[in-house]
Amino acid sequence: MRVGRLPAEMLAAALTGGLGLAGVLGSAELGASWTESGPEPGYFPFYVGLILIAAALGNGVMALRARGAQDEAWLEPEQSRRLLGFLVPLLAYVAGSVWLGLYVASAVYVAFNARFRGGYRGVVAVAIGAAFTVLLYVVFEMAFKVPLLKGPLEPLLGIH
Amino acid sequence: MDNFSLLMGGFGTALTPLHIALMIGGVLMGLVVGVLPGLGAPNGVSLLIPLTFSLDPTSAIILLSSMYWGALFGGSTTSILFNIPGEPSSVATTFDGYPMARRGQPTRALTLAFMSAGFGALLGVVVITLLAGWAARFALRFGAPEYFAVYFLAFAAFIGMGTGAPLKIVASLSAGLLLSTVGMDSVTGVVRLTYGFTDLLGGISFLVVVIGLFGLGEILATVQEGLRFRGVASRIRLGDVLATMAELPRYWATLLRSGVVGTWMGITPGGPTAASFMSYGVARQASGKSGPAFGTGRPEGIVAPEAADHSAGTCAMLPMLALGVPSSATAAVMMGGLMIWGLTPGPMLFATKPDFVWGLIASMYVSNVVAVILVLATVPLFAALLRIPFAIIGPIIVAICLVGAYTVSSAGFDLWLALVFGLVGYLLTRLDYPLAPLILAMVLGHKAENAFHQSMILSDGSLGIFFSNPLVASIMAIALALLILPRLGGLRRRRNPPEVVE
Repeated sequence: MRVGRLPAEMLAAALTGGLGLAGVLGSAELGASWTESGPEPGYFPFYVGLILIAAALGNGVMALRARGAQDEAWLEPEQSRRLLGFLVPLLAYVAGSVWLGLYVASAVYVAFNARFRGGYRGVVAVAIGAAFTVLLYVVFEMAFKVPLLKGPLEPLLGIH
Repeated sequence: MDNFSLLMGGFGTALTPLHIALMIGGVLMGLVVGVLPGLGAPNGVSLLIPLTFSLDPTSAIILLSSMYWGALFGGSTTSILFNIPGEPSSVATTFDGYPMARRGQPTRALTLAFMSAGFGALLGVVVITLLAGWAARFALRFGAPEYFAVYFLAFAAFIGMGTGAPLKIVASLSAGLLLSTVGMDSVTGVVRLTYGFTDLLGGISFLVVVIGLFGLGEILATVQEGLRFRGVASRIRLGDVLATMAELPRYWATLLRSGVVGTWMGITPGGPTAASFMSYGVARQASGKSGPAFGTGRPEGIVAPEAADHSAGTCAMLPMLALGVPSSATAAVMMGGLMIWGLTPGPMLFATKPDFVWGLIASMYVSNVVAVILVLATVPLFAALLRIPFAIIGPIIVAICLVGAYTVSSAGFDLWLALVFGLVGYLLTRLDYPLAPLILAMVLGHKAENAFHQSMILSDGSLGIFFSNPLVASIMAIALALLILPRLGGLRRRRNPPEVVE
C-alpha cells in the first residue's frame, strides 16, 4: 500500500487535535475558570488544549497548502509491507505479554522472528528465544530483584 | 567554600571503587545503546532508571550520566562506520565521518571524533564547574513567577531556536504539557482527564512515553528503511590513533569554536542535536573555499559536530541542576529520575546536597576520560553488534523496550501505552515533528503548572505579575524575543545538511 504525505500529515494533525479536544472537553467538565481560591483544576489543561487544537489546525492547513507535497510518497508499497510484517507480530507480542507474562511472550516473539524472518532452523530459533528469556530472568529477577509480569504458565514450572 | 574546593570534595565522592565501577559499567551500557538503532540515550536512561531505585542518588546519577556519555560516543561510532547515526545528535557526524572511513581511514575518523568529543565534553564540564556556584546563587532569588518565566523561556527557546516547523514544535510541546496533567492533580487533589480509565489515575509516566516514542518509534523507522548495514571494517590500529592525536592540535580553531557553540546551545535549551548541526555549518563557512569540500571526509567536518555535540550534552546538566530546566531530552529524563529519587532539582540542591551535585560534576571529568579510552578499546566489539542479523537484534531491542516500560510501575497497561506511543512516535518523527519538546514538557508540566498557579494566586489572576520586577520581566522579554525575533527577519537558521558525496 502506498501512502502519500498528505494523508499522513492529516492523521498527525487529527491525532494531536483530537488530544487537544479531549483535554479541552475534560477540563471544561472540571471547571476551567477562576474562583475565589484561585484557578479551577481544569484551568491550565483547558488553555493548553486550546493551543494544541490551534497548532493542529495550523499544521493541517500548512499541509494542505504545501503544493506538490501531496503527491510525494510518505510510505512506498514495499516499506508499508515491511512495516506491517513487523507490526502484526509486535501487536501479538504485547497482547501475549499481558496474557501470558513477559517471559513466555518474549521467548515466543524472539523465536518466531528468528525462525520466520531470520530463516533460522526451528531448533536454533527456539534456543535463541529461550536463552533470551533466561537472560531476562537472571538480570531482572535475580540481579536487580525487579519482578517482571508473569502469566499462568510460570507457576506450573515452580517459578513465582 | 569556592567552586574549586567543592570540586575537590566532589572528586572525593566520585573516585571510590564503587563509583568508578559504575562509570565503567555505565559507559559500556551507553556504548551498547548508542550503537544499537532504536536504543538511544534518552530511552537507554529511561530503561535504567527503574533499576537504580536500590542505589543511593549520587551513585545512581553517576551511573546514568556515564551511560549518557557512553551513548553519545556510541552514536558517533555507528555514524562513522555504518553511516547510521545511533543518536539524532550524531547525524552531522555522518556527513564527513562515513566518507573518510570509506576512503580507508576509519581509525583516523574514529579517533578524530572521539578526541574532539572528549575535548568538547571536558570544555563543557569546565564551564559547568565555573558557573555552577554562580548559577545556583542566581536561582536562589527566584520565586514562582520567575520559575514560570524560566519554563516559558525553555519552551520559547525550543520554538524559536528549533530547526523544524514552529507549529509542529508548538503541537509537540503542548501535547506534552497536556499529557502531564493526566491523573491525580497534586495541587487540588482532583483526578483529571482520565476519561474513566483507572489505569490512568497515577498519570502517564514520561519514562513509558520516552520508551515508546524514542525506542519503539525508532525501531519502526529502522524496519521501514529495510536495514542493510554496509559497514566499514573497524579494526583500530594504535599507530593511526597516535598519528591522529598528533594531528588534532591543527584544528584548534575549529575545536574551540565548536566547543563555544556547543556550550551555548547546551546551557540555553538548544540541545546537542541543534548544536552539532550549527557547529558543522559554522565550520563549513569558516573554511571558505580552501581545501577539499565538506561532505567528502574533511577532518573539520568530524571535529566540529562532535565537539559541539558533547559540550552541549555535558552543559545540558547545568540548567537541569541549577534551575530544574533540562535542555536536552536525556537531561529531561535524568531530571525526572532525580524527582523520582526524591531530590528537587534547583538552587536548593546545591545547598542541601553538595555531595550529590559536586560528585556528579567531578564524575563527569573522570567518566568522559574513561569513555574516550573505553570507546577506543572496544569499537571493534561494539561494531560487531551491528553484524548480528536484524531478525534477531530487532526483536530483542523491542523486547527490552517493553520490559523497560513494564518495570517503570509494574503495570501491564504500560505495555499498551508504550506500543501506542511507539506508533505515534513513528508517525511524528517521519513528519518532522520534534519529540524532545514533548518529553521536556512532560517532565516540566507539573512544575510549570504549579508555578503558574502560584503566580496567579499571588497576583489575583493578573498576567502583569510576569512583568512586575526587573528579573522576571527580563526573563519574559528574552523568552518573547526568542519566540518572535526568528520569525521577523526571515533569516531563520535552517538545518543545512550538504549532499553526501558517495
